Amino acid sequence: MNSQNVEKKYTPEISQKEIEELRNTIQATSQKIIAENIEKMKKADPNRPKALQYFDEMANFVSREKEIRVEKEKGRKVIGYMCLFAPTELILAAGAIPVRVNSGWYDAAKLGDRVVPVEVCPMVRSTIGAKMIALSPYLEVSDALISVLTCDGMTKLGEILSDYTQVWSMTLPRVKDSEQSARLWREEIKAMKGQIEALTGNKIGRKQLKSAIELTQKATRAFRRLQELRKASPVIMGRDAMLVNQTYMWDNIERWTEKTEALCDQLEERVRKKIWACPPDTPRVMITGTPMIWPDNWKLPTLIEEGTPPGVLVADELCSSERILYDPVGVDEWSMSDMLNAISERYLMASTCPCFTSKDGNEDRINWLVNKIKEWNIQGVIYYVHRGCILYAMEYTRVKKVLDRLAIPVYYLDTEYTREDVGQMKTRVEAFLEMLSARIDL
Amino acid sequence: MITVGLDLGTQSVKAIILKDGEVVSRGRAFSGFDPAEAAEQALGEALKAAKLSLSDVNHVTATGSGMDLASNSNSTISMMGADAQAGVYLFLKARTIIDVGAEEARAVKCDEKGIMMDFVVNERCAAGAGAFIEAMARALEVKMEDMGPLSLKAERASSINASCVIFGESDVVTLIHRQESKPEIARAIFDAMADRVSSMVYRLGVNPDVVLLGGVARDVGFVASLKRKLGIDVLIPEYPEFAGALGAALVAAKRAKKV
Repeated sequence: MNSQNVEKKYTPEISQKEIEELRNTIQATSQKIIAENIEKMKKADPNRPKALQYFDEMANFVSREKEIRVEKEKGRKVIGYMCLFAPTELILAAGAIPVRVNSGWYDAAKLGDRVVPVEVCPMVRSTIGAKMIALSPYLEVSDALISVLTCDGMTKLGEILSDYTQVWSMTLPRVKDSEQSARLWREEIKAMKGQIEALTGNKIGRKQLKSAIELTQKATRAFRRLQELRKASPVIMGRDAMLVNQTYMWDNIERWTEKTEALCDQLEERVRKKIWACPPDTPRVMITGTPMIWPDNWKLPTLIEEGTPPGVLVADELCSSERILYDPVGVDEWSMSDMLNAISERYLMASTCPCFTSKDGNEDRINWLVNKIKEWNIQGVIYYVHRGCILYAMEYTRVKKVLDRLAIPVYYLDTEYTREDVGQMKTRVEAFLEMLSARIDL
Repeated sequence: MITVGLDLGTQSVKAIILKDGEVVSRGRAFSGFDPAEAAEQALGEALKAAKLSLSDVNHVTATGSGMDLASNSNSTISMMGADAQAGVYLFLKARTIIDVGAEEARAVKCDEKGIMMDFVVNERCAAGAGAFIEAMARALEVKMEDMGPLSLKAERASSINASCVIFGESDVVTLIHRQESKPEIARAIFDAMADRVSSMVYRLGVNPDVVLLGGVARDVGFVASLKRKLGIDVLIPEYPEFAGALGAALVAAKRAKKV
C-alpha cells in the first residue's frame, strides 16, 4: 500500500524537504544521545562485563534495521506492536518478525503536538511524530501494526497510525478476572492468528506454533535468570540490565537468548569472584510506572545511578523492561487449541498494566511490587509517571498505601518527554536517595 | 567547632554560621545571574559579622537549587533534608515541615532526629510559591509586602484558580472586572496558594507539630490562609528564610564531627 495515496484522517501533510530536515536533525541528536548513554553506562561500572558489548551495538538501531531489511527483501514480513499484549508467538510461527515500535525520542513528541494536544501521553505523541517523519526504523519496516486497546492514548494512537500503515486493533477486556473477558480475549487471539496468516501467506500449524512457544519460553528462562542475578549484591548496573531487557523488543529472539545466557554466565563468574558493579551498600531502588523507551527516555535511571548519593536499580515494574518476558507461556497439551488458550491466558493474566481492574482492583500489580520488594530487598521505590498517563497516576494512591504499610519509601515523579526538566528531577531524585542513605545509616 | 550552611535559592543566597550548635551570624545576597558570586558575598557578610575568616571554618555544606555552584562548600544536602534538620532544631516536636520559597513549595515528614521520612514537592509551576504573590501583586498594583496586611482586611472570601501563574493572573483580572475589592482579591490569592500547599501536605499526612519555613512564612496573609486550610496552628521561626542555610549548617556540624 502506498502511503502517499491514502487520505490522511489525522496527520498533516508535510513537505518531503521538511520531513528530511527534521529527520536528519533528530537522528543526529539521537546518535549523540545513544553514544552518551552508552559512555555513561560504561563509566558507571569499571568492570562492566564484556558480554554487554553486543547489547550496546543492538541499542544503536542501525545494524538490526539493516538485518531486518535484508530479511524483508527475502519476503519475510515484519509486524510491529505497541503494547505487550501482541501475541509474539503467533507472529514468529507465521515466519514474520515481531518488533515493538513505541517511540523514545523526545524531539518527536513536539511533532506529535501538531496532531494531538500536549496533554496527551508523550510516548503517544512521540510515536505519532516519529511516524510523521519516518524516524523510527522499526515503525518503518513494519508491514502491519498490532494496536491493543489498552489505554485511551493507545486506542487513538493506532487510529492515527493507520494514516500510514495497516493497523490491526485488538479489544482488550478491562475486567481481568471474569470468564466473559477470558472468552473475548481468546477470540481476539484467534482472529489475530487469521490476520497474521493472511498477511504472511503462511498457515500457522501446530508444529510452527509449538516451536515459536518453545523459543519464547527459552528466552523467558534467560530473562528470568538475569533478573534473579539482581537479587543479591549488585552484579550488574540497573541501566545495563534495562537495556538488555529492552533490546528483546527488537532483536532476533534466538540470538538475544544466547547473548543473554552468555551475559548471565559472566555475571555468575563475577558473583563467584565477588566483583560488584557498585558498592554493595548502595541503596537498592525499584522503578514502577510508565514505560521508559531507549534512547532519549533514559533520564531517570541515569539520575538514580549517577546521583549524589548514588542508588542502584535492582528491579522495575515497567512494560519496557522487566514485564516484557516475566511469565512464560504455560502449555499442558501441545494441541492447537491448548496452545492458543495458553497464549491467550499468558498475555491477559500475567499483565500488571493499570488498564485492568478486577474484583480486587489491580491486585496483580500490588502483588508483583510486594514480591519484588521482599525478594529483591528493595529499599526505595520511584513511581514514575508521564504527564497525561491517567491510569498510572490514579493507581499511585493505592500503591503508596501498601508501601507505607511495608515502611518502604516511595516517591512520585512525573515528567515529560523533555531534557529541560533534568535539573528539577535531579533535586528530587537526590533528595530521595539521600533519604534512603540516611535510613540505612540509622 | 565552626560550620557554615549556604542556601543557594532561586532569588537569594543565605549563609549561616554555627558555633558549637549556636547561630552566630547570617549573611544574604541576591542570586542574580551569578549565584556563585552571590554565595561568596553572603558568606563574606556572615564571616565579617562573626569576625571570622574562612580558615576558621571546619565544614561548609551547601543546599538550595544552586547548591552545586557554591565554590567554597565541602558537601551538599538536599533542600528537603536541610528543612527537616532545621525544623526539628528550631521546634523540638516538629514532624511536618512546610517550606514555601520563591519558586517552590515542599513539605517534609521527619522523625525526632530530623531525619526526613517522606517528602512532596509542588509541580513544576510556581503557583504555590512566592513568585505567585509577586505576579499577583503586580496585577493588583500593590506592593508585594502590602499584600498580606491587605488580605487580612477582607470581609468575605472569593476564589481564583491557582493551577498556574498565568491563569491565576487572568482570574484576578476577572475579579477586578467584577469590581471585587482589593483586600478580597488579595485574600483569594492567598487562599488559592494555601489550597495548593495544604493539599500537598495532606498527601503526606499532617503530623503535628507543623512548622512553616521559607521566605513566604513572613507573609501574614499566606500564614492566615494556610492556618485556615489546615485547621491547626503552624509554628514559624524568627528567621524562616534562613531555615535552609541553618539546616545545611547543622548537617555540616555532623559531617565535621565524623571526619
